[in-house]
Amino acid sequence: MKKRAVAASVSTLLALSTGLAVASPAGAATKQVINLITWVNPPAVTVLKKINAEFEKANPGYTVNYQTTADVSGGYATMQQTAVQGGTADIMGTFPFQPLPFNMSQNNLTPTQLWAVHNVFAPLNGQPWVKNFNPSVLSGDMYKGKLYGLVTGVYQQGVFYNKAIFAKYHLVPPKTYNGLIHTAQVLAAHHVTPFFDGLQNVGPLYLMFITNPLMQDIWMPKVGNVNTALWTNKTKWTDPAFIKVMVRERAIMKYLEPNFTGVPWQAMPGAFANGKAAMLLDGSWDLASVAQANPHMKMGYFPLPGSNNPKLNQSLLQPDLTFVVLNNSPHKAAALKWLDFFASPKIYAQYVDATGISPSRVGGAYSSAASRALGPWFGKGVMLDRIFPQLPGSGSYYVQPKNWWQLQLEMYQGKYTPQKVASMYQSAWQQVVK
Amino acid sequence: MASLYRGRDRVQLYIGMLPGLLLYVLFGVVPSVATAVISVTNYSGIPGLPVNFIGLQNYVQAFVLDSTGIVGAIRDTLVFAVSVTVVQNVAALGMAHLFTRRYPGRAVFRSLVFMPAALGVTVIGLTWALILNPSGGPAASLLALWGGSSAFLGSNRFALPLVIFVQIWASLGFTTIVYLAGMNTVPGELYEAAKIDGASSWVIFRRITFPMIAPSTTVNVLLAAVGSLNTYDLIYVLTDGLYHTNTLGMYMFNTAFEGSSNLGLAATINMVEFAITLAVALTLQKVLRKREEVL
Repeated sequence: MKKRAVAASVSTLLALSTGLAVASPAGAATKQVINLITWVNPPAVTVLKKINAEFEKANPGYTVNYQTTADVSGGYATMQQTAVQGGTADIMGTFPFQPLPFNMSQNNLTPTQLWAVHNVFAPLNGQPWVKNFNPSVLSGDMYKGKLYGLVTGVYQQGVFYNKAIFAKYHLVPPKTYNGLIHTAQVLAAHHVTPFFDGLQNVGPLYLMFITNPLMQDIWMPKVGNVNTALWTNKTKWTDPAFIKVMVRERAIMKYLEPNFTGVPWQAMPGAFANGKAAMLLDGSWDLASVAQANPHMKMGYFPLPGSNNPKLNQSLLQPDLTFVVLNNSPHKAAALKWLDFFASPKIYAQYVDATGISPSRVGGAYSSAASRALGPWFGKGVMLDRIFPQLPGSGSYYVQPKNWWQLQLEMYQGKYTPQKVASMYQSAWQQVVK
Repeated sequence: MASLYRGRDRVQLYIGMLPGLLLYVLFGVVPSVATAVISVTNYSGIPGLPVNFIGLQNYVQAFVLDSTGIVGAIRDTLVFAVSVTVVQNVAALGMAHLFTRRYPGRAVFRSLVFMPAALGVTVIGLTWALILNPSGGPAASLLALWGGSSAFLGSNRFALPLVIFVQIWASLGFTTIVYLAGMNTVPGELYEAAKIDGASSWVIFRRITFPMIAPSTTVNVLLAAVGSLNTYDLIYVLTDGLYHTNTLGMYMFNTAFEGSSNLGLAATINMVEFAITLAVALTLQKVLRKREEVL
């Protein structure tokens, strides 16, 4: 009896498995799946979905499985770690990994840097699209002569302003630090919130829209490449120029919207588009969302002036989404095919126009909301990696990225003076550079 | 005491236990031992990269070379765990006591209190993040009626209390149900005798109800303490460990995934978390079991 029952069960299982095998469409076996992962930047996600659909249409044998996480921190970091260890992605979105620290160790390399120097990414040298892209932008993803990523472009950091509000109070885009403070004072006197910035979810990191330009305009003229100068001990965090940066940073932060530390970054474009503040401190990646939230709004751009010498006040460029192909990808050829498709002129133009990114591809005509708002500044400025050093992922506590920015916030909140913060950074930094 | 199972019965018993035991070893014991091993290595999670034994270097890094992070994380963890355990249990006791009485709408109230237990952590986190949005969220509007304002989850002062509140809100239903089940097992004669003796409601609760539900207290206190010592998911959704909410779980997660690929150091932080949890759990178990033995 028992034997019969066992035999019946085995037969059923066999029949089921055979049935399933027969039921599988023959075409599915030949269809190549490309797994693509990125974090969510709404306009980028929308246009990438469209591009994927066009890729599938142009290449019937391929399917793109596109997955995202809510933001670039936590969840995406976990997704990346899984992809690297488990081979669950073929193409992975990252940020360019340069500049690398001068003395590389596991403690002071970010995960992306660690992966780059340990051959986790497939070299892309010789791919047909490479010659069409700006080498200086691609250099952000090069190590020992090997190119590891397609840098999709650079975003502009700075101040986006509501032209209608500026006109109402007879204001013009300021070109000096004193002019900026005067502008903020005029707006505040009329009960208009001068600046909008949201720190929730991303944390104090978004103070970078104030700190970075101040560092560029005040510290860089004195020491040149700040990143290199810090690594080579040519300058210190206790440099009076950096203390001046923090003093001015604190002065500007007084004009941010109330309770900005609790405002989610996702709320920034909508709030600015709806007139909750006259100026938005942000990157140009959010301009597409601003335009979507209020298509009739007229906005302009100016680099946040950190010094009182207009010639020193430059716009900041931040390389953004970069596609890398994982070395353990089971579909490497398909992934390279997708990259080639993405880099083709018409497809890439769609991406640039939808996201507002300044193109890394040489030539071409673009008409994004960002290009109109940025005007002559579009794609022009100083690369961020010359100003702000890559902070170590672990080890010295106060110079780890999250803690570095947290101290900036605590300085503003009065817990520490700029001088104290500078000395805390310097003592932590000494452990990193020794 | 002689064993109830002998010979073939005993073999069948062990065979029956085997699948569960294997699962426990595979998903419980192996990862735990692996974490302990990883904590003395420089494991980075990069395929093909050699993993080296580095002794106690990660522990030295965490406690000697740069103790700011771990000291802060231990402080935040203890504040979080003690607050959650105490307030959650006191509130749940009160709720359960209320639910033993009969009044109109009792079933609705019970459902409302238990409802968060059916929601996922992400849903709870996002819901409260929206409620506590200082730019137009309902909590901000409410506070504005009294002329106040706050950054809520972005405030160094209020972020941790708010995270504690949300954690308690999320777990209160389950804790209440456990207490309620305990209260329903207390023999009615004890209450009747106390009432005849003229005992007040407070005396009845203190002298009869609370001692008689000792097993429920043990379960609830242990679950709340161990759970809150290991919490990171809710904090991750609400504050990402910022604004003094960087508990050990959060610190470990950030070290492993966000800032670096230093999985060895992350495993070290996990071992510290494990040691604290073990010490707290064993102490609580000893103390609470003594109360049960009196029954």
